[in-house]
Amino acid sequence: MTDNKKKINIINFLLVTVTAVFFLMPILYMFSTSLRPMNESFSLPPKWLPETFIFENYLYVIFEMKLPIVKIFLNTFKITFVVTLIQLFACSLSAYAFAKMKFSFKTPLFILLLASLMIPQQVLIVPLFLMMRDLKLIDNHLSVILVNLGSMAFGVFLLRQHYLTLPNDLIDSAKIDGASDFQIFYKIALPLSKSALAALGIIVFNNVWNNFFYPYIFLNDIDNYTLPLGLALLSGLGGSYGGEDKDVILMAAVGFAVIPVLIVFIIGQRWIVEAFTKSGLKG
Amino acid sequence: MQKPIYKINRSINAYLFILPTYLLFILFVLVPLFQAFDISFQNYNILGDSKYVGFKNYIKLFEDQRLVVMYSNTIFFTVFAVTFNAGLGLLLAVMLNQRMPNFVRNLYRSIFFFPLLLAHAYIAIIWKFLYQKDTGAFNYYITNMGYEAIPWLNSAQWVLPSIIIMDVWKNTGFAMLIFLAGLQNIPKNVIEASIIDGASQFKSFIFIKLPLLSPTILFVLVVFMIGALQVFDSIVVLTNGGPGDASRSVTMYIYHLAFEKFDMGYASAVSMTLFIVILILTILQFTISKKWVHYD
Repeated sequence: MTDNKKKINIINFLLVTVTAVFFLMPILYMFSTSLRPMNESFSLPPKWLPETFIFENYLYVIFEMKLPIVKIFLNTFKITFVVTLIQLFACSLSAYAFAKMKFSFKTPLFILLLASLMIPQQVLIVPLFLMMRDLKLIDNHLSVILVNLGSMAFGVFLLRQHYLTLPNDLIDSAKIDGASDFQIFYKIALPLSKSALAALGIIVFNNVWNNFFYPYIFLNDIDNYTLPLGLALLSGLGGSYGGEDKDVILMAAVGFAVIPVLIVFIIGQRWIVEAFTKSGLKG
Repeated sequence: MQKPIYKINRSINAYLFILPTYLLFILFVLVPLFQAFDISFQNYNILGDSKYVGFKNYIKLFEDQRLVVMYSNTIFFTVFAVTFNAGLGLLLAVMLNQRMPNFVRNLYRSIFFFPLLLAHAYIAIIWKFLYQKDTGAFNYYITNMGYEAIPWLNSAQWVLPSIIIMDVWKNTGFAMLIFLAGLQNIPKNVIEASIIDGASQFKSFIFIKLPLLSPTILFVLVVFMIGALQVFDSIVVLTNGGPGDASRSVTMYIYHLAFEKFDMGYASAVSMTLFIVILILTILQFTISKKWVHYD
């Protein structure tokens, strides 16, 4: 019986190891290609592990490529940072109200917000485009920031679930002591919500950082692009401008985009995994 | 006299708290939603000379042969992507939930999870190389084993399966993560009790764990379905809808109609159908789930 169990454990371990290796391969392939000499772009049999560590492709991507990738990186950071900060601020305020305050139409207002999670981005994009055109915000990062701020339903939901767990006694006793609603929120609720805020921050940051659709619609000038859009262009989307045909260069550009994510993931693994788990467990 | 004023004050504060969120929500979600509905009844000209045409755009839906193709592509993608994402995710979660050193479990979990953090655009670029017919890594091994090279991205038959495989690689880690957390939330004594009662590992999984996991399964299905029906980024970068329309999704069609053909009225009508499909399927899933999901 126990022997049998041991066998199952070993088989299970082998299977999951093989699967993990398969999962790693596309990323390894990207890195090993990006580290090859520029003139040996193409290689069969495929090399999964890097044999050479030549960084000339990365230097080319950063300094010489037509696509201004460093500027694009900074654009992406700017948009993502602003959206994340404002979402954290607005979501935490409204989530607190929905969880702990009394007001008329509370439930319908909350349900209306939640129901909006089912609206596809594409339904809103024509009016949003016309709105941004009339506001003269096409090709302006503000348009991408603003439309990303419309979708706060998820954040409000996630934080509300957290605030609901705060004991009411705590809030009531602060009220008796004469604290205002904002003081209670700011001095009691917020400090107790660091992990929930971190989780939301991570998820919003990741979503906006990877967002392709809004920049695709609203940004035209290459200098204004974001990373996903810039790389898509590089791979041949949208005609020849900036297109790179060498595998090694393209892979180095992808590597340039992936490495920061990898570093952040290695450092913040615990919080990132926890954030995504939280987002999936209905709070 | 005191009390009502106090109450109103409290109430005003609450509205102030939700004001930033709701203002942005009204401006960038609710208003555009009504505008989209309005535009769907117009022959919308981007230069401003628009006129109402009644249900013309909606009647056009039924005569549009391309729309049928887009919907069948999208539904094919959704059915298989959701099934494999959830299925493989559950399998990986069960495997990782077996006995193994903790650091190994965490390492593997991270490996399965990592692609989720990357933009579709990056991933599609990598996979585009792997999928090349003559120079790609996959076909190198396939032809070496004596089989014929697979035209992954060049044939109408293979292009959707190729996109689905890539999608599962990217997203199944999320399903795994949620299922793993769900499995670890099941109290140990429940499982032990069933095993003492003589249930095999397999039986205890089917009859004890799976029912306890059913709310999580429902959640994963709904989230993946809503996402899959809106598939856009990965296909744009991998194939841009080709060959022909073989991999074009409904969302790409909406983009094409609105921003390449400037037929914004009809684009809005098509987008309304997608909204309604998502709405109905979500409600349906929750209704059906009452039969098999156990909430306790």
